[in-house]
Amino acid sequence: MAEKIATIWPEIVLFITTCVVMILGLSPNKQWRSLCLPASVAGLVIAGILAAWGMREGGPVADTALPLMPGFVKVTIAVVGVLLVIVQAGLIDRREEALVSTGRPFNPLRTNRAEYFSLVLFSLTGLMLCASASDLIWLFLALELTSLPTYVMVAMSSSRDRAQEAAVKYFYLGALGAATFLYGFVMLYGGTGTLKLGPMAEIIATEGINPITLIGLLLTIAGLGFKIAAVPMHFYTADVYQGAAAPVTAFLAFVPKTAGFIALLLVCATVGWRFGESGDALPESLRVMLWVMAAVTMTVGNVLAILQNSVKRVLAYSSIAHSGYMLVGLLAGPGDGSFPSSGVSAVLFYLAAYGITNTGAFAVIASLERRAADRGEPLEVDSFDDLRGLWKREPALGVVLAIVTLSLLGFPPLLGFMAKLPLFTAGISSGEIALVVILGLNSAIAAFYYLRIVKAAMIDDPKAEAGSADAASRHPSYQLRFATGMCSAVGVIGLSMLAGQIAGNTTSAGSYVPPVAGASEAAEGVFAVVEQEAAGEARTETASSLPTS
Amino acid sequence: MTMLSMPLGALSNLVAAADGPYIATGEAPQWVALIPALPLLGAVLCLICACLNVKNKAPGYLTVGLLAGSFVTTLVAFLGGTDNYGVATIFRWIHASIGADSGTSLVSNFAFYFDGLSMLWMLFVTGLATVIGLYSSEYMSGDKGLGYCRFFFAFNVFVFSMSCLVMADNLLLLFLGWEGVGLCSYLLIGYYYKKPEAVAAAKKAFIINRIGDLGLLMAIGATFVVFGTVELRPLFEMIAAGIDANGEAIGGTWAVVVIPLLLTAGAFGKSAQLFFYVWLPDAMEGPTPVSALIHAATMVTAGVYLIARMFPLYAADDAMIALTVVAWAGAITAFWAATIEFAQYDIKRIMGYSTISQLGFMFAGLGLLGTTGAVFHVFTHAFFKATLFLCCGAVMHGFGGQLSLRRLSGVMWMKGFGITAVCMLIGCLSLSGVPFTAGYFSKDMILAQAFATPGDMIGGAYFIGLLLLLTAAMTAYYTFRVFFRVFVGPKYFEPGDDDHGDDHGDDHGDDHSHAHDAAKEEPGDALHTGFHPHAPGWAMNTAMVLLAVGTIVIASLYFVNKKEDHGWAGTMVKYSSAAYASPGLGHKGDGEKKDEAVGLLPADAEAGAVMPVSLVAEGVVADEDATAKASGTLFGYDPFKIMYYVSAVLGLIGIIAAAWFHGPKGLAGLGIGNRVEPAKVRMDAVAARFGPIPRWAENKWYVDELYHIVFVKVLLVSSHIYHAIDKLVIDGIVDLLGSLPRWLGSLLRPSQSGVLHSYATGMVAGSAVLVALIVLVALL
Repeated sequence: MAEKIATIWPEIVLFITTCVVMILGLSPNKQWRSLCLPASVAGLVIAGILAAWGMREGGPVADTALPLMPGFVKVTIAVVGVLLVIVQAGLIDRREEALVSTGRPFNPLRTNRAEYFSLVLFSLTGLMLCASASDLIWLFLALELTSLPTYVMVAMSSSRDRAQEAAVKYFYLGALGAATFLYGFVMLYGGTGTLKLGPMAEIIATEGINPITLIGLLLTIAGLGFKIAAVPMHFYTADVYQGAAAPVTAFLAFVPKTAGFIALLLVCATVGWRFGESGDALPESLRVMLWVMAAVTMTVGNVLAILQNSVKRVLAYSSIAHSGYMLVGLLAGPGDGSFPSSGVSAVLFYLAAYGITNTGAFAVIASLERRAADRGEPLEVDSFDDLRGLWKREPALGVVLAIVTLSLLGFPPLLGFMAKLPLFTAGISSGEIALVVILGLNSAIAAFYYLRIVKAAMIDDPKAEAGSADAASRHPSYQLRFATGMCSAVGVIGLSMLAGQIAGNTTSAGSYVPPVAGASEAAEGVFAVVEQEAAGEARTETASSLPTS
Repeated sequence: MTMLSMPLGALSNLVAAADGPYIATGEAPQWVALIPALPLLGAVLCLICACLNVKNKAPGYLTVGLLAGSFVTTLVAFLGGTDNYGVATIFRWIHASIGADSGTSLVSNFAFYFDGLSMLWMLFVTGLATVIGLYSSEYMSGDKGLGYCRFFFAFNVFVFSMSCLVMADNLLLLFLGWEGVGLCSYLLIGYYYKKPEAVAAAKKAFIINRIGDLGLLMAIGATFVVFGTVELRPLFEMIAAGIDANGEAIGGTWAVVVIPLLLTAGAFGKSAQLFFYVWLPDAMEGPTPVSALIHAATMVTAGVYLIARMFPLYAADDAMIALTVVAWAGAITAFWAATIEFAQYDIKRIMGYSTISQLGFMFAGLGLLGTTGAVFHVFTHAFFKATLFLCCGAVMHGFGGQLSLRRLSGVMWMKGFGITAVCMLIGCLSLSGVPFTAGYFSKDMILAQAFATPGDMIGGAYFIGLLLLLTAAMTAYYTFRVFFRVFVGPKYFEPGDDDHGDDHGDDHGDDHSHAHDAAKEEPGDALHTGFHPHAPGWAMNTAMVLLAVGTIVIASLYFVNKKEDHGWAGTMVKYSSAAYASPGLGHKGDGEKKDEAVGLLPADAEAGAVMPVSLVAEGVVADEDATAKASGTLFGYDPFKIMYYVSAVLGLIGIIAAAWFHGPKGLAGLGIGNRVEPAKVRMDAVAARFGPIPRWAENKWYVDELYHIVFVKVLLVSSHIYHAIDKLVIDGIVDLLGSLPRWLGSLLRPSQSGVLHSYATGMVAGSAVLVALIVLVALL
């Protein structure tokens, strides 16, 4: 138990921060109240430092087939989390705060700030816990801790009906997805007799995959497809992303997707990339399933994105497409452990790059707003028309948008390119040439709508005169939101120069320890417990001897 | 001279018994990076000036200061002698491994390779750039403001690129510099971008250079394929050993023929040789200082540099195919350009054709195995041609852009133009090869080399020599045609229509400018009334005088280390990759044998020096027999001796002819000429006898028109055809492909109905399809 706790210090820090924020947000003092955001950032920074420190020290090591993954993932979550928290500035209690500043007494019951920021942090805590998971119960709880707050966040993000509708859709469909993978988890337990991922891997390695386990795997992957917005679980994406306020959409595009991919990586690692002709692929049935999912997901996402006039819907569909790209890495598996051939490292790299870049894109959209015709809450900037001539009105925003969009497109030498390249190389080295061709074609289709955004922002003339009723103006929290976008753009350029360093980190984070066949047979003997522990230790040792820098 | 000869003395003491083409093995000091860095800084400062909207001459003076710093750095490096020869790696640039296991790697550092050749080039590049920068600071002052900044920005980038080209340690960096100078050339030719001719000329220069650049690029690729490196030092070591990357002998393979020919194509483009020459005359549309620096003195000699730099590779071919091509191309170009000059009336264009012609001499020199002569001619030509251009520029500047031979006369006698005329005379004398001028010595080396090099090494060397001799006489004629018509004779001018004069008050400080300004203010002022030629100011005069004095002084370099190395240029070449035992000059280790073979001449003692060059390694003169035939004769004499007299006589004949046909009445009391009216000369009567030929020559033998039909028209027609194919077929396919995703999208769009239960149905149904698929896979 104590060992396990040693691995979740970042989560513990985040949880404590959550409690502090929950209280801070209820303070009648405006200064104290406004400390919610800095406190959340501080908690994330400390959690990130702890995670990075843990990664440097070489331990703790998770008891799964991907023993070194949690460290890197938690650092990624902390970094992107900071951006995601900052971009939430000014989203909640805008009307309430305005009323309070005009003299109405502060009523803790009418404010949502405390809940909102604690929900954000809860979700991020859940995300980190996903990375730490080593058994299915833990994994399920962590996934739900990640997802449940997001349903509420969507509902709270805007007073408009669209947000409420999105929240309802998201909740019901999310429940359907969760039910699916929970059913899958149950089947996995039924098929292998254990909930722990480590022993389960050994059993599968020893006994092969029985039909119940197979059905469990299929349901698990299909259900987790909801988290990553993969076909056929993608339907909700566009409606929810459009309905929620842009900062929440940024959150949705990164957090559940990351949770889903971590879970998928853990499940696939438990099955093991040890089948096929050359012994480094998933079992044929899973391979076919993921192959189809990847190909259809990226194609559906891209072709639907082409037709949209709403930038948020474009980014929503492109988020589907990005999941499809990453499924290629998942399918490719760890290869021979080197960076170019490891799809696992590629997925980890891509998640980090996508999180940083995508947050920047939404931050730019969130920096602007438009007066509503009905005099209600100001509208979000959403259509291509709103972005037209951004470069002429807000040069800095225009440049940031262009940079992050080009990075999302995978334009060399930006971060998105550095992240997409290993997906290609991993796919090729695992022999999935056809899938890589589809990936390439889809990248070309993606260029159409991404460049359309760049064109609207940088080349076209503004639709309306500045200051006119139609023109977009700055959001009250412009500074912080723009700063997030700026950080993202700087990160996109800066990290692309450090790509070699990140590649090294992801390579070690993605190091895969194939389960040892036969270990569980011994476990049936008299000294089952003792021997099992010994086997576990042996694996831990193997893992710690891996490169950790 | 003492300052110069000190390090040179040290050099000659260091002559070791090296037995390969000289390879600088040491390390050059890191501070040589200042040479390109200072102009780069200048470029940045000019940009800043442009941003700050500086309206004075600050960018010009900044440039001159920084370039002077660059020149001083070069000078210090030069005074350090051979100790400074070697490689200075500034930073890692390109390190790429190719292939997983082959271990081939492309290493290209931002590094400089210093040997005699790069040193000599850098000396005149930075030196002339400084002086011409000073000249430009006044010449361009009509454009103060953004244009001024733009000019000096490109000027600085040019010097930076030229330094990279010349000092490059590898072919990629050389290519970077090569393209950089091409770009600056384009920018500066098109400086007056409102003038359609200038824009057209800029494009022409750029496009024609592209063709040559393709050759250079292919040569670099081929070099990498064959030798596995683009770095000069390993490359020279391999060539000296006669092996390629796999350790196989390169003699007789395609590499030693094809790579030099491709390099030659690049050199022809940049140096306006053979079919490529047409861009250079048009390039005179640029400001005159640009013509002087880029299109006469430095950039156009990059082709000569390239061949000299890669000379070991050229010489590695036993059959000398590429060198023969170079020699003939040079000679033909020299002659061809000279014929056009006979009938040209624009003095700047005459100088432009003269540059082509002189570059032809240099190429011929290289092709005839006389690297020393060619390199020395590059050096001297840089000085006297820059002088000539600056003087033409002063005239142009003073007479509102007037350049026509027919509309100017007696400029020498006009107020303030004395210095210009004297400098012009010095330049003309040098270009004509009048005895004891710099051009005389350097051209002689090339002319003599043509007769010294036996015809079985370079095919038809003797005929090349005759062609060059004829061209030398023609050169003297057309040079003095300009001088006699423009600078002496009755005073006469018609101002050109360029308005250069806005802002010259502070440059001249005399009444002229006021009168000029007053005249300008009168509305509707006719061209003639009120126009005052304004004489060059201090900056232009200083620059012209400096260059003219330089032209005189560098003649003496011929006598530095004369005995050992055939002049200072020989010493520099000896310590460079261009070191080569030219027939009749070098490799006289066994003097008796040579005397036998040539059977000649008194006092051959001075030819006793041993060049530290291994001909054995190059497979050129592999044995004693070859040594014996290694020198030809002219009229049975050593060509290097007799050429002094032959070329002097030819030069004087040319000048006298020019005086006879164009000289003013009572020229210097000799009474040769008879020109009384500005534009009426004896030559007109002679030309009339030739029917339409002079007109053809004036129209440059219609080469431009020919190119227009053969290349431009054909390309235009084919581009229309391609355009149609592109529109109909390619675009059709692309549009079709492009509409596929859109069509697919609209097909899928209804699935996004926004209705909750249809989403849920979709999810379940989709999952069911997936499961069915898996079951299918499992069953199969």
